[in-house]
Amino acid sequence: MNARGHSVPARRLWWLAAGFTVWCNALVLLYALHAIGCVFAWPAGALRWTLVVVFVAHLVAVGWLWRKAASAERGAAAGDTGNFLQVVIEWTMIAAFAATLVTFGPPLWLTACL
Amino acid sequence: MSGSVEQPPQPANALRLHRQLAAIWATGPGVQRLAAVNHSVLGLRMMITSFVFFAIGGVLGMLTRVQLATPNSTFMDAGTYNQVFTMHGSMMLFLFAIPMVESVAVYLTPKILGTRDFAFPRLTAYGYWCYLFGATILTVSLLAGVAPDSGWFMYTPLSSNVFTPGINADVWLLGVTFVEISALSLAMEIVVSVLKMRAPGMSLDRMPIFGWYILVTALMMIVAFPPLILGSILLEVERAFGLPFFDPARGGDPLLWQHLFWLFGHPDVYIIFLPMAAVLSTIIPVFAGRPLVGYRAIVVAIVALAFLSFGIWVHHMFTVGIPHLALAFFSAGSAIVAVPTAVQIFAWLATLSHGRPRWDLPMLYVFGFFFVFVAGGLTGVMLAMVPFDWQAHDTYFVVAHMHYVVAGALAFPMLAALYYWLPLLTGRSTVQRLSTVAFWLVFVGFNMTFFLMHLTGLLGMPRRIYTYTGYESWNWLNLLSSVGSFIMTIGFALVVIDLVVQLRYGRRVRRDPWRATTFEWAMPIPPQPYAFASIPHVGAGTDRTEAGRIALSLARGEGYLGAARNGWQETLGVHMVSGKPDQLIVLPQPTYLPLWTALATAVAVLALLFKLYPVAIVATVVIAGLFVLAAQRSGHARDYGPLPVGRGVSVPPHTEVAEAPPWLALICVLVADGTLFASLLFGTFYLWIAAPNWPGGVSPDPSRLLALGAVAALAVGAVASRLSLRALAAAGGAQGWIVLAMLALAGSIAALVGMMGGVTPDPRTHALGATAVALLCFVVVHAGIGLLFLVSNLLRLAGGRVSPRRLVDFRLTRLWLDYTTVTGVLALALVLALPALVSVLGARA
Repeated sequence: MNARGHSVPARRLWWLAAGFTVWCNALVLLYALHAIGCVFAWPAGALRWTLVVVFVAHLVAVGWLWRKAASAERGAAAGDTGNFLQVVIEWTMIAAFAATLVTFGPPLWLTACL
Repeated sequence: MSGSVEQPPQPANALRLHRQLAAIWATGPGVQRLAAVNHSVLGLRMMITSFVFFAIGGVLGMLTRVQLATPNSTFMDAGTYNQVFTMHGSMMLFLFAIPMVESVAVYLTPKILGTRDFAFPRLTAYGYWCYLFGATILTVSLLAGVAPDSGWFMYTPLSSNVFTPGINADVWLLGVTFVEISALSLAMEIVVSVLKMRAPGMSLDRMPIFGWYILVTALMMIVAFPPLILGSILLEVERAFGLPFFDPARGGDPLLWQHLFWLFGHPDVYIIFLPMAAVLSTIIPVFAGRPLVGYRAIVVAIVALAFLSFGIWVHHMFTVGIPHLALAFFSAGSAIVAVPTAVQIFAWLATLSHGRPRWDLPMLYVFGFFFVFVAGGLTGVMLAMVPFDWQAHDTYFVVAHMHYVVAGALAFPMLAALYYWLPLLTGRSTVQRLSTVAFWLVFVGFNMTFFLMHLTGLLGMPRRIYTYTGYESWNWLNLLSSVGSFIMTIGFALVVIDLVVQLRYGRRVRRDPWRATTFEWAMPIPPQPYAFASIPHVGAGTDRTEAGRIALSLARGEGYLGAARNGWQETLGVHMVSGKPDQLIVLPQPTYLPLWTALATAVAVLALLFKLYPVAIVATVVIAGLFVLAAQRSGHARDYGPLPVGRGVSVPPHTEVAEAPPWLALICVLVADGTLFASLLFGTFYLWIAAPNWPGGVSPDPSRLLALGAVAALAVGAVASRLSLRALAAAGGAQGWIVLAMLALAGSIAALVGMMGGVTPDPRTHALGATAVALLCFVVVHAGIGLLFLVSNLLRLAGGRVSPRRLVDFRLTRLWLDYTTVTGVLALALVLALPALVSVLGARA
C-alpha cells in the first residue's frame, strides 16, 4: 500500500471549488445589485461605483486565494498526490481569476439600466 | 494499475471463490429479479429502459418531421402536434439523455474504479424504479391523449391552468419531478462512491479520468436539479391550490419560471456532455496507444466548465427585457465557456497526434462526434452574442444548434461507447460491415436533418409551428430535413439489427480485447455480480498495465477481500484523497424494499395528479415508514473492531468510522437541499424586485411570538440531539434527549402551522402571502423529516444497532437538525422581514 498523498487531508478538496465559488458569488451579487439599483432608480454613478467595488472585491478575493494556493508546500514532501492537487487547485484559481476579469469587468462600462 | 501477487497462484481457488461470491452477490431468479440491487443488473436495465424511451422519443421526432415535410400538412392537427413535439423533447431530455448517461455511470463507474458496487445499492434500485414509473406515467399520458403540450420547457403562463386547464401540464410537472428523484439519488450515490470506494492505492491523481468526469457531473446534478424541482412544485401548487407564484395579476411573475427552469436547463447540457466526454477521454487513449495528453488540464477544465455552466442560464432569456449590462455578464460568460471545452478537444487531438492511432469502429463515431460537436459549439458562440441571439431567438437556428450540441454530442459518443464496451456486456465482437454502414447513415442523416435547420432558422422559420403556408421559401429545406431524419432513423435501425446479429452470431472475444488499462477489463466478461473476485491494488509504476494481465490474479483472490466472510457483500472504503483503505463496507443484499417504496411514491404522484389528496397523504406516510424500515436493516448489531481485508491490512466496518458513506451522502443531500432553499429565497426576492402588482394591498403581519417560539423549539431540538449523541458516546442513556428533541420539533411544527394560518395577504390572492407560506412549509417539512430521523434513532437504539462506537445515525440526526435550525431561522427571518421589504417598494422606479 503506498501512502502517497495520505498526508493531504480530504478538506483540501474544497479548494478545487474555492476560486469559482467566488466567481459565482460575484455573479449573484452583481446581478442582484444591478437589478435592485435599476428597479429602485439609484443614481447612475452610485450604481456603477457599487458594482465596480463589488467586482474589484471579488477579483481581489480570487487573487488572494490564488496567492494562498500557490504558496502551499510543494515537492517531495507534498507527495505526488499533493503536488497534483496543488497544480490543479492553482490553475482553477487562475481560470477563476480570468473568468471574473472577463465576465464582469468589461460589461461595467456599459450604460447601467438601459 | 496492478493486481496483487503477494500469494502464490492457487488455480483451484478461483472457481471456489467464484462460487462462494456468486452465492452471496447474485440476484435470485424469477420474481426475485425485482429485488435486484446490484449495479450491473440495474445499470443494464436502466440502459435498456432509456433506449426504449429513445426509440419512442425518436418516433415522435419522426412524426414532427412528417408533419413539417410539406406545407399545409394535415397529418396532425395543432393540438396533437403540440403533444408530440413536447413529448419528443421531454422524453429525449428527461427520459433518455439523463438516465442514459446515468446508466453508463452506474454500470461502469464501480468497475473502472476497481470496486464491487456502489455505496447504496438500495438507493440505486429505488432510483431505477422511480425512473421507470415516472417515465411510464408520462408515456401513458401520451397514449391517453393528455400528454403535456406546452413545450419541453413548460413556460408559464402557457402552462398555467388558465391556458392549460387539463392535466397535461400536471403530468409533466409531477412525472418529470418523479424521474428527477431518480437522477438526484443516483447523483448522490455516484459522488459518495467515487470519493470513498475506489480501489486501494487509487489516489486522486491516479484515478482514471472517467472518474473525474463522473464525479463532477454528479456534483453538477446535485446542484442543478433542485431549482427545477422547486419550480415544478411551485407551479403545481399554483395549478392545484391557486397560490399565484407565476401569475402577474396576483403578484407573481412568469419569468420566475424561466429563471428556475434554466438554472437547471443550461447546466443540464453539460450534465449530458461531460459523461460523454468521459467516454471519449477513455476510448481515445486506448486507440491512440498512449496515455491521455493533459490529464491535469482536463481536470481543471471540467471543474471550470461545471461552474461556468451554472452562470450562463440567462443566455436563454436574452429577449425577455433584462437590462443590457446584465445581459453582457451572461454573454461574456457564455463565450468563455467555450475555452474549457476547447481544452478538452485539443487534449484529445493531441493524444491522437502523439500516439499511433488504430482505426476501429468506436473511432468512427469519435470522429463523427468531433465534426458535430465543433459545429454545434461554434453556433453556440454565435448565439452567446446578444445581437445575433435577438435575430435567431425562437427560430429553427436554435433548434439546429441544440440538436448539434445535445443530440449529436450525445449520440456519437454514446454509439462509440456502445461498440467499445459491447464485448464487456455480451462477450462478443461486432459485425463490422453492418456497423460501418450504420455509422454513415446516422452521420449523413443527422447532418442532413439538422444542418439544414440552421438555414430554415436564418430564413425566419419559428420553432414549434405545426405547419406553414409554402410561400416562405422553406419548402425544400424542410423536405430535405425530413428525408435526412428518415436516413438517420434507418441508420439507428441498422445499429439495432447489428446488436441483435452480434448477440446471435458475434465471435466470442478474449478478455480485454482493446488492450485497455482500466479495471473494467480485469474481470470475467460478461461481468459477475461481485465484479471482482478480489479487489485490485493500484501501485507505483503499474498504472498502465494492461487490465487483462492482472485479471487471473484477481480471480484467484490475490487482491483485497479475496475470501467470503459471514455471507457479507463486502467492499472497501478508502481515504478520499490518497486511496488508502480506511473501512470495510458491508452492502445490503437483494430486497424488495426499493420496489415497494417506489410503488408508494408512484401512488403519491398519481394521487396528486388526480387530486386525491387524502390518498397522497397516506402514501407519503407509507413512504416515510418504508424509509425508516430500510434504515432499521442497515449496519451491524454489534461492534467488530478492525477486520483483516487482505495484504496485511485491517480496517473497521463502515459503521464504526467517522467518514462512513452515509455521512458523505447526507452532506450531498444538504447541498441539494440548500440549493433548493437558496432557489426559494431567490424566488422570493425576485418577486419582490421584479413582479408586477407588489405590494399586495394588505401588509403582511406575521406573528412574532409564534416565529420566536418556532425558532426556540428548533434550537432546543438541535441541542437535545447533540446531547443525545454525547450521551451515547459516553455509553449513557440517550432516549430522554431524543424524546425531548421530538417534543421540541413537534412544538415547532405546531407554531409554524399556526403562523401559516395567519398569513396575510391570503396566499391565494397574492404572491406575497404565497411566498411566506412556501417558506414556512419548507421549515415544517424539514422539521418533520427531523422527527423521522429521531424515530429511527429510537428504534435503532432499542434494536442494538447503535453503540458508543457505532454513532453514525446520531451524527446524521445532529447534522440534519443543525441544518434545519439554520434554514429555519433564515426562512422565518425573511417571513418577518417581508413587511419591511414591502414597505420599501414605494421607492420602486
